Amino acid sequence: MHRGVLPLPLKKHLRFFFLLFLMTSLIACQSDDASKADQQKQSQAFPSTYISAPSKAFVIEHATVLTGTGIEYRDASVLVENGLIKAVGNNFFIPADVERIDGSGKWVTPGIIDVHSHMGVYSSPGIESTQDGNEMTAPVTAEVWAEHSVWTQDPAMPLALAGGVTTFQVLPGSGNLIGGRGVTLKNVNAKNVQAMKFPDAPHSLKMACGENPKRVYGNKGRAPSTRMGNVAGYRMAWIKAEEYLAKWDKYTESLGSKKELDKPARDLQLDTLAEVLRGNILVHNHCYRAEEMMVMIDIAKEFGYKISAFHHAIEAYKIADVLAKENICSAVWADWWGFKHEAFDHVRENAAMVHNAKACAIIHSDSAIGIQHLNQETAKAMAAGNKNGLSIEVKDAIAWITSNAAKAIGVGDKTGSLKENMMADIVIWSHNPLSVYAKAEKVFIDGVLTYDRYDSEFQPVSDFDLGIIDPEGVRL
Amino acid sequence: MNNYKLIHKLIVKLTTSLILSLLAINVIAKDYLIKNATVHTASEVGVLNSTDVLISDGFIMELGKNLSGNSNVEVIDAKGQHLTPGLINANTQMGLVEISAASSTVDHTTEQEGVGASFNIAPAINFRSTLIPQNRINGLTRAIVVPGFGNSIFAGSSSAIALLSDMTGMISENIAQHVLYGVSGAEFNGGSRAAAHMALDKALEDANYLRHNRRRFEPGFESHFSLSIADLDALKPVLERKIPLIINVHRSDSIIRMIALAKKHNIKIVLQGASEAWVVSNEIARANVPVIIDPISNLPNSFSSLSSRIDAASILHNAGVKMVFTGMQSTHNGYLVRQSAGNAVSHGLPAEEALKAMTINTAEVFGIKNYGQIKVGMEADVVIWDGDPMEVTTNAEQVFIKGQKQPMVSRATRLRDRFWDLNDNKNKAYVK
Repeated sequence: MHRGVLPLPLKKHLRFFFLLFLMTSLIACQSDDASKADQQKQSQAFPSTYISAPSKAFVIEHATVLTGTGIEYRDASVLVENGLIKAVGNNFFIPADVERIDGSGKWVTPGIIDVHSHMGVYSSPGIESTQDGNEMTAPVTAEVWAEHSVWTQDPAMPLALAGGVTTFQVLPGSGNLIGGRGVTLKNVNAKNVQAMKFPDAPHSLKMACGENPKRVYGNKGRAPSTRMGNVAGYRMAWIKAEEYLAKWDKYTESLGSKKELDKPARDLQLDTLAEVLRGNILVHNHCYRAEEMMVMIDIAKEFGYKISAFHHAIEAYKIADVLAKENICSAVWADWWGFKHEAFDHVRENAAMVHNAKACAIIHSDSAIGIQHLNQETAKAMAAGNKNGLSIEVKDAIAWITSNAAKAIGVGDKTGSLKENMMADIVIWSHNPLSVYAKAEKVFIDGVLTYDRYDSEFQPVSDFDLGIIDPEGVRL
Repeated sequence: MNNYKLIHKLIVKLTTSLILSLLAINVIAKDYLIKNATVHTASEVGVLNSTDVLISDGFIMELGKNLSGNSNVEVIDAKGQHLTPGLINANTQMGLVEISAASSTVDHTTEQEGVGASFNIAPAINFRSTLIPQNRINGLTRAIVVPGFGNSIFAGSSSAIALLSDMTGMISENIAQHVLYGVSGAEFNGGSRAAAHMALDKALEDANYLRHNRRRFEPGFESHFSLSIADLDALKPVLERKIPLIINVHRSDSIIRMIALAKKHNIKIVLQGASEAWVVSNEIARANVPVIIDPISNLPNSFSSLSSRIDAASILHNAGVKMVFTGMQSTHNGYLVRQSAGNAVSHGLPAEEALKAMTINTAEVFGIKNYGQIKVGMEADVVIWDGDPMEVTTNAEQVFIKGQKQPMVSRATRLRDRFWDLNDNKNKAYVK
């Protein structure tokens, strides 16, 4: 909830002016940088206008602090200034004039991050008009952007906030081989999606393996109708993207020379794929089976891109060693299985086994209920592994919904861990967060108290929730 | 047939039955003495600390301190552990689905015309389903198996099963009739809730007429009823108050309408889904109508469930409504009813009430005898937990169903074990 307008933190000012400078200098530049300007134009489309509300400096004291990076501090403090974390630990100087929050008996974690949400694109209530997440009209729709479907007033968003979720990635659905761009949002109430966009977060590309695309298009009587058809579909798309990229590279090289080439025509679909090949968009690949994940890894190598995470990676445990070596995260559920053949080989220890192989484990939701309880989902996944002999600690497992998640969506240097100069996205929990009894009591986004369980003034209400049942009240 | 042959046949028959009865005894004769557990009885005696439970011949024989069994009793020390009745999920399709998206493995719904209320799913229940062990090792020992909705507002009748991997798991069929009202029910009835209401009212009226004039409608007669004769016949036990009508309904005003309809037809109803039940909790309590809810389900999924909230269970309990729990997601994770219950506890419901809502309350609502409490004389569906039964980090340590100690193994644990050590995984695909 943003109240009033006060000066931005200095750092944000600087970033704004830097971008302004970049844009103006690019416009001014005629030759070598023209192609870069085109790229810039793309990445500047629909820029984030998210500005955190001003926040007072504060310190949370005497709490058990999980940094998200494998450290647990007891009776520790977290100091926040200008929306950033200034210090974490047991022993540092706390300025006299900062607000003090007593964290005795409480637990503090980074804000929870969901790498797989459809909030805003499959909003609640689910009616005809809220089916905005899957452009199932062609198997490759790299040209669509999830953010253009986002309804910012989805009442699921404030519910997720009450579950400690400060950042979430909204992905297109999995009906297509290449479903389009995903977007990372801050969980703040805003009138438009730009005002929720996580500043400087990279876009993602949603790809999907297996049953969904082959079923959707097979039923339409067109390719792909098989898994091999899926693979042909990805590769044909990437071949086009390579050609497109080469065309632009040649054009760029020719600029300023005697034989300046004509500027290639822009193609919205290939823009996205070329940005992946340039390394500017992160690939998030819905993929259940070990076989298919291994094939996708080879496709990525063939075309020179990197897979950031496999989502719904039911069989990640079978190839956890490979995933560790390839530095690919596995975003998984704690319990879901059996809804499709490719989800049949689920084990409850999946995340724990991935973690144990020193690969990057993430618990994701893909559900507007699950997103409210990512801490519980993590708890179950950890406990399942420990029951079978591992000894994963809470301070490590919490990374599955904080730092590992942040890393997978390309914001690991900004949020997801409690370290100096990270965004002050923080949750104060009533209990150990990996417990059914844990409730997020206070949630801070960029140092701003955005949710307080015991103060209705800090409980965001979406436009939808307003007067929807009782004209004089709110939904909850 | 000569005498010799007759005698021979008799001997074979006797031997066979002797062997069978011996086998049966061997299966259930083993006694178990569980020592020093924190026993959550789901009964009026509540939680008993450091208590022993003696399981004998499939039943709970004794409950108390310092118990001892006979010489061949297997003693299990459950010090520091918790013991509850085996859990039940009130809304599953256990045994009726293996892989949801593989239609040949799905038996819970029929699209056949004229088959609604008369659809009895019992013959399709597959006790060798992989879902049964996976749920069993996670503490679910029983399930209500419910038909899905096809072309009628009536889905058909449900069964109760124990999560055993053979047909001894079948407990009872035709235990309740299921109907859909409200947002989806309207779809079968010209797109209006009012039409759905009319259809339900008429069906009950027709069924009642048929019940009293059955002879006029022997096969061959043309019927002018709203439903097929078979469907109307299937509503007879509802009208005779032998089984409840489970009504899937969410909106609070619809709930009131359903209570009124139940009164009109003098039938027993149970509200299922019931996202907005808490809004009219006093009316529901007054009408003595139980509700089946998933306490974790707090999304305004539809315009019929705008008032969904996470603490609904606590509100309903305070109003005196009898609750039965189901869980989120699918039948595959039917055991997650425990997580849903845990969330209800986290949001104000007493833990003992949460346990009852996934044991004894369910047994009572669906008429399942001798199950649902840790009490002498009850069938020994017992789970030993390694911690607080409501906690998400807690796992089942050992499960008993009808007094039989269950192997804590499922297809999933087999896969887990195969891939547990990836360094030792060479050629594992070809060995057990």
